[in-house]
Amino acid sequence: MAATSVSVEADDAQGLVASAYGHLPHGRFLLLGVADRTAARGWLRDLAASVTTAAGRVEGQAVNVALTPSGLEKLGAPPAALAGFSREFQDGMTEPSRGRTLGDSADSAPQYWAWGSPDSAQIDLVLLLYASTPARLDQTLERHGDLRGTGLRVVHRLEARRDDREHFGFHDGISQPAVAGLSKAGPARDTVKAGEFLLGYENEYGQFTARPLLDPALDPGRLLPLDVQGSGRHDLGRNGTYLVLRQLAQDVSRFWSHLEQASGNGHGDATALAARMVGRWPNGAPLVLSPERDDPALTTANDFTYHEPDELGLRCPIGAHVRRSHPRDSLDPRPGSDTSISIDKRHRLLRRGRLYGPRLDRTAALARGANNADHEERGLHFMGLCASLSRQFEFIQHTWVMSPKFDGLYEDADPLMGPPGRTFTIQSKPTRRRVKDLPAFVHTRGGAYFFLPGIRALRWLGSLP
Amino acid sequence: MTEQRAVTIVADVKPRRGASLTRLLTKMGEDAAGNEVLPLGELASAHFARLIILDAAKDLDGNPLPAHLIYMSDIDGSLENHLEELVDLAPTGLDQVFSHCQGYPEAGARTHMTRTAFLTDHTVNAGATYVNTVGRTLRQVRDEARLREAIQTFLDSGDFEGVEPEAVRAAIRRFVQAREDLRWATEPPPAPGPAQRAATILGALGLPLELAALAPVLLPVLPVWALLLRLHEARDSSPTIEPTDAHDRALAAIEDFTAQNPFSALGPRKPGLVRLLTASGVLRLVDYGARYIFNNGSLTGVKTIHFARWVFLDDRRRMIFASSYDGSLESYMDDFINQVWWGLNAVFSNGVGFPKTSWLVLGGSQHEQEFKDFLRRHEVLTQVWYSAYSDLTALNIDNNAQIRAGLSSPMSRAETEAWLQRL
Repeated sequence: MAATSVSVEADDAQGLVASAYGHLPHGRFLLLGVADRTAARGWLRDLAASVTTAAGRVEGQAVNVALTPSGLEKLGAPPAALAGFSREFQDGMTEPSRGRTLGDSADSAPQYWAWGSPDSAQIDLVLLLYASTPARLDQTLERHGDLRGTGLRVVHRLEARRDDREHFGFHDGISQPAVAGLSKAGPARDTVKAGEFLLGYENEYGQFTARPLLDPALDPGRLLPLDVQGSGRHDLGRNGTYLVLRQLAQDVSRFWSHLEQASGNGHGDATALAARMVGRWPNGAPLVLSPERDDPALTTANDFTYHEPDELGLRCPIGAHVRRSHPRDSLDPRPGSDTSISIDKRHRLLRRGRLYGPRLDRTAALARGANNADHEERGLHFMGLCASLSRQFEFIQHTWVMSPKFDGLYEDADPLMGPPGRTFTIQSKPTRRRVKDLPAFVHTRGGAYFFLPGIRALRWLGSLP
Repeated sequence: MTEQRAVTIVADVKPRRGASLTRLLTKMGEDAAGNEVLPLGELASAHFARLIILDAAKDLDGNPLPAHLIYMSDIDGSLENHLEELVDLAPTGLDQVFSHCQGYPEAGARTHMTRTAFLTDHTVNAGATYVNTVGRTLRQVRDEARLREAIQTFLDSGDFEGVEPEAVRAAIRRFVQAREDLRWATEPPPAPGPAQRAATILGALGLPLELAALAPVLLPVLPVWALLLRLHEARDSSPTIEPTDAHDRALAAIEDFTAQNPFSALGPRKPGLVRLLTASGVLRLVDYGARYIFNNGSLTGVKTIHFARWVFLDDRRRMIFASSYDGSLESYMDDFINQVWWGLNAVFSNGVGFPKTSWLVLGGSQHEQEFKDFLRRHEVLTQVWYSAYSDLTALNIDNNAQIRAGLSSPMSRAETEAWLQRL
């Protein structure tokens, strides 16, 4: 496959598309509401000049910004522009039927969220700030976080720490697709066309995902790029993408207490059980390559498949988190084939998540016990970037991660993320073992769909009449 | 072996009774299995059933089409038996529903016989029918699910670590044998008898023989047909129209409550003789393929469809497609695009507004977004949808059947090991 046939206009895409800013471990996300549209537009216009792009090396700090539909509307984007965005984006993460798609029910229902629910203050924008050191973050916050006189107010602040290990103690964020024409080259089976992660480029169907294309009259200053498909319309979507942001609280004490107890019932030790649920060992070694131990040589191993080495799930259980959120070559049609992989490529995400809340290691977690409710909140600010919310994020969440029926299973929603009462089946010889009635370890505490525009689109938004 | 059948009853809704019927069906739809009007869950013969109201409309020439009430079910056994069961189950419920329709017996004239006669008279044949696994009855699906549950509980209660696979299987067999309510499972399900096998073979020969006999006529005509079709394709318009917000939300509001979903879609056929012949011919091929080739768990690789049917309505001017499938609409449509694109194109490209095809099978559904919009736009609300096993996917059902089959058949060690992995 000619992976780099089209090069991406990296200087017009925000930096988050190209990088998780791993070298900028300190961060803060400011969820903003628009109070005065004229002032807010001025702020955005100025900000556009300092927004970090996907071109070149980012030093010291990074600034990115994304908008919800209400944000676009309040800045004055005309209805014709809004209508060009996908329905999932327009309806938002809390639209009632979406709760079933995403698994946001019971304790995870939007009514209990800390932010983003229909009953709480409307989120119009998110300002994403990243820095190399705490001092640098303070500087960044001083420069960008003081919003007096900008027509914006801070609705909610999120801590956003970068760490290789998520709160359950597992090396996270190892598997990321390489974006053709943008990322450094990856293996062909992990290289995905730019149009899956940026609007205005060819996607894995060889087509262009729907995006807002504007009548030239709506862009009198000719700030936006022309539609590369030649319609003569101006492309508000080009070099932009959708950003999924979800605050996922992790109940670390319940997790380890429950696993300790479950592993007492003949499921090996708790770490081994947790590793089977994750599909990788704490240091990152994939179970499919190293089913018995956390091999230090494999901590970042990612160029592997499932079907040939482990069709039955005897090494890495079928229901393991990493296997179901990125099944590689496991699924129909023709598991093990290039066709299977080419279809997997239509359901990928760029993950950009960050941690929040204090660490709680396993010993401390066990000391608290499952019922000694852990009142501190900690978890993951899940962030995913994709060009199609329905075909990528929502599909992965609904058809794979939260589905009890994934790949022939019966009642096994994701062992980490699923609702209470689910089963975790560990395929084994001579026959399977089952861990029944898992409680919920993860709760949704907030979330929204954003549009992460290209730089020219930001300027257009800042210049709206 | 009992065969499955698609029942479709189409009745015209009386003028000005549509709103009342919609209210009634909406209420029934809240509990399709247990509602007081027509408790579909009590039918022993129905795997799936649905009731749909199609609003009054106009055909492509502007002629009015009356509103229709459509009842569909996927059943075991004969139509007569199913209608008997339906009428016996809820005579007054049927009255409540079908008295909204033209031609239903008047209040004084409603008897078992007149009700049954009405339903029989309004039954129409499907142009094509798909059954996931021909011969698997509702009873079998439910019994085998219960069997698997029991075996799983049995395995949970024991420790089989290090036990030889044959010994594990033997223990499972002993457990099943000892349970009076499960002992049936040690026998394989009924296979088709000699008469049935002969009928299947004859049926399988029917279409090929017919085509062979007609070959002298068909062969010279085919190139002409192909060229005419290509001309039509070049001319046909394929507008890009998104479904409206209200339509989309109404459909989303009834989706994704269980492991399965219903899909019902209605559209006008493209006008003209070429399209009529193409649509009719393709449906015959689909019906044949579904019955004699894709009759065991997979429709050209798609393993998530339980039942499906295509039915012409209004003198073949419109067609309705109805299916019961596993997972979300998004995954269903992706399966279509990825695995049965050619078959879909051949059938649905005869519908007005389908994304542009060439030579019947190319293009079309490969235009991902246009195709998804087309399907969603033509989808109609399934007011009442009933599944007799909404927590089971087709893959689950098939696996359950393999578990049962493995109790009786002789097995090598490798087969025993593989069978144990089904649990």
